[in-house]
Amino acid sequence: MEAMAQTVAERAISLVLDVVDLNEVLDQVDLNALLNRVDLDTLLDRVDIGAVLNKVDIEEVLDRVDLNRLLARVDVNQLLSTVDVNRLMAKVDVSAIVDQVDVNQVVQQVDVNDVMSKVDVDAIVDRVDINGIVERVDLEAIVEETDLGSIIAKSSSGIASGAIDAVRSRTVGMDEAIARLVARLRSRPYTGPPGPPAGLRVPGAS
Amino acid sequence: MTARTSQAMPATPEGTPAAARESLQGHYAGFASRFAAFVVDVFVISAVYLLLLGAINFVASIATGKTVDLNRNDIWVVIGYLVWAFIYFAHFWGLNGKTAGGGLFGLQVLRDDGGDVSGRRAIGRTLALPLSFLILCLGFLGILLGDRRRALHDVIAGTVVVYSWDARAARLRYLSRPRYSAPAAPAAPPATPGSPGSPGPSA
Repeated sequence: MEAMAQTVAERAISLVLDVVDLNEVLDQVDLNALLNRVDLDTLLDRVDIGAVLNKVDIEEVLDRVDLNRLLARVDVNQLLSTVDVNRLMAKVDVSAIVDQVDVNQVVQQVDVNDVMSKVDVDAIVDRVDINGIVERVDLEAIVEETDLGSIIAKSSSGIASGAIDAVRSRTVGMDEAIARLVARLRSRPYTGPPGPPAGLRVPGAS
Repeated sequence: MTARTSQAMPATPEGTPAAARESLQGHYAGFASRFAAFVVDVFVISAVYLLLLGAINFVASIATGKTVDLNRNDIWVVIGYLVWAFIYFAHFWGLNGKTAGGGLFGLQVLRDDGGDVSGRRAIGRTLALPLSFLILCLGFLGILLGDRRRALHDVIAGTVVVYSWDARAARLRYLSRPRYSAPAAPAAPPATPGSPGSPGPSA
């Protein structure tokens, strides 16, 4: 009995579908109103998305996607303008990244000569206060502790011996003592030996 | 010291680079140095002249067969000495501004603007030098009292005397001198303070 009813129903539906123009029916349906009545959340809760994704061959999908063409349509500048770089960088552990970088290997790949050829050394030197640096150098300590002193001594041994230097130093000391005494007698402050004459260039006093 | 005005230095000590201030190179020389240099020059002039005089006496004695004794009581010997002294000073000041004494004490005669002394100016300075003596040596007061430490003959000739040696380089030479350290003494047993032989505080 049931089988006969089933057969009749199928036959009836088949006849109805042959008669009904589904496209015309669908045109008369307000799909938006229909969709508004559908509880999509409930519907999605019932869908096992994991199972669906398991059936999707993502590799094949990606193979079929032309990423270059896709990326060409992306306005990267506009995309980046929406990114809060500061906030992003705050989350980045730079130290950890740097620790992972083999600086030696990076440096070995750098053509230092090429880099240096592009550097305007003169411009850099012009910005350096060499006199200020020299004044901070304890030249006497360097001479005492290195062989530089012996080089200086050898190069200048023909010019003046230690004895002559000593004699000159003593007479200069006497000059200063006399000058200070005279200044005191004249009730004037003594600020050191005067000079040099205008127009005189002293070697080594660059 | 012979380089010129391509890089002029300020005339005031305050504007002078620290290195030059420390070395005193190019600064006006003081009285003691100049006096010592002059004494050396007089010694050199006298020594050379005496040797020359002795040689002349010797040659003249041989040539004439008589004893020839030219000494300082002879007016021609005095004149010859003064001429020789004039040649000595004028020549060396005109040559490079340094006499033997000046070279020894690191002094150099320059024009008052820092330039080299010409032969004419050197002759003028040499001729003016006696004036500083003839007025009871008052001509040298300028070295003590003047701002540029110029004697009378400097003012007349338009010259100055400066230090030409680099005291800072001399200091570096002194520091770089070879030093020989004594071999380390063997370790001595600890001595009680005040006991004989214990090292006291160094003087």
